[in-house]
Amino acid sequence: MNSIWQRNIIRGAIILVIQLLLLKRIDITFGDFNYIHFTIYPIIFALLPYKTNRTALIPIGFAIGLIVDLFYDSLGVHAAASTFICYFRFYILNLLSPAEGYGKEHLTAFRHGLPWFLSYLSALLFIHLLLLYSLEAFSFVYFNEIILRTIFSFIASLFVLMLGTLIFNPKY
Amino acid sequence: MRNIFNLFFRYSAFIVFVIFEIIALYLIVNYNKSQKEIWAHSSNLFTGTINKYVQGVEDFFALQATNDSLLIENANLLQTIIDYRVTSKDNAFQDYEDKDSTNNYTLIPSRICSKTLNLRNNYLTLCKGSSSGIEVGMGVITFNGIVGIVKSVSKNYSTVLMVLNSESRISAKVATKNYIGNLVWSGSDLRELNMMDVPKHSEIAVGDSILTSGYSISFPPEIFIGVVESYTIEGGSNNYNIKVQMKSDLSTTDYVYVVNFLQAEEKEEILSENE
Repeated sequence: MNSIWQRNIIRGAIILVIQLLLLKRIDITFGDFNYIHFTIYPIIFALLPYKTNRTALIPIGFAIGLIVDLFYDSLGVHAAASTFICYFRFYILNLLSPAEGYGKEHLTAFRHGLPWFLSYLSALLFIHLLLLYSLEAFSFVYFNEIILRTIFSFIASLFVLMLGTLIFNPKY
Repeated sequence: MRNIFNLFFRYSAFIVFVIFEIIALYLIVNYNKSQKEIWAHSSNLFTGTINKYVQGVEDFFALQATNDSLLIENANLLQTIIDYRVTSKDNAFQDYEDKDSTNNYTLIPSRICSKTLNLRNNYLTLCKGSSSGIEVGMGVITFNGIVGIVKSVSKNYSTVLMVLNSESRISAKVATKNYIGNLVWSGSDLRELNMMDVPKHSEIAVGDSILTSGYSISFPPEIFIGVVESYTIEGGSNNYNIKVQMKSDLSTTDYVYVVNFLQAEEKEEILSENE
């Protein structure tokens, strides 16, 4: 049990460092096209053990979101989106529940197969990004921009995440 | 009590979720400039529409008060114009005259309470009387025309003999040429007056402005009345018969100004001495 938490904390810290010190600086712009932003830290929430207390999950999401916010100078935006997916993770898991159940803890591609993990992560990531950019724009006046940003960032981020998953393929 | 705790434990995830979302949204709105502006803006949009409707209703009830204040404002402006005309004309040798002769006229704005227009002798009633300073003999004007002369006054009401009355005779002149004549009503058209007593040697053209002469104590000089529509000389007469088209439509007029000539008594005295 303890080792799982240690793993998660270390993994989360590494992902946050990559996100905040590396991916934040990547700016892909072609003229007016600046819709690609890499956002990989939601995988921290995705990989938390299945048995994590639902109520406890929410402050975790809020705290991590807040840390990201501090670096992105957008206090509250990432926190709100993270809080939401931490709450919503339960429903996605219910929806994608495999025939044999989730077993004890691990929500990894190694355990449940790549297709399942892909759909699980996609759902989580897409909701997170949609919410994130909606809150960033904070008005549906910018609807087109929100959608474009969400879709392109989603594809880019998912690509990075799947690459990472295929390379490391964590057991836990 | 136990049920409440059960409820809380059951929905604890949701409750905690809501709490943290609210905190996050609070942070967003309070610590991000653009979001703060959008929030303020869109809430203004929402409240703005409501406010607009409420303001509309409020304005409707305030119409009377607004009208009254506008009327007073108009009266002051008109007064300034009249005074300016009078002083700029009379005080051509201003240096040699004392300048206390300004402010000869004051205007008392009033609402029309009732009026008749379809008779041969038409009168109207003003909603103000002696308590507001109206006296018999004062002239009544609108912004672009004359209405009549006050005939009788009670405490809160006064009756005005309109220009649309067979008894009405108003001293007028043709602008720039200064030919003096008297205006009477033709008796049928609400906007048509006849100008009598203009000698036939005078040069008159269609479209000339007709102004008040300022010779009577009722009206200040140079109040616009109307324009010359047509003129004829009847056989054997020495005078023109000029048809004057009035600019103001008295049938739609609701607010008028009563002209208070401050030196009326003095002028009246000296006029009656001459007779």
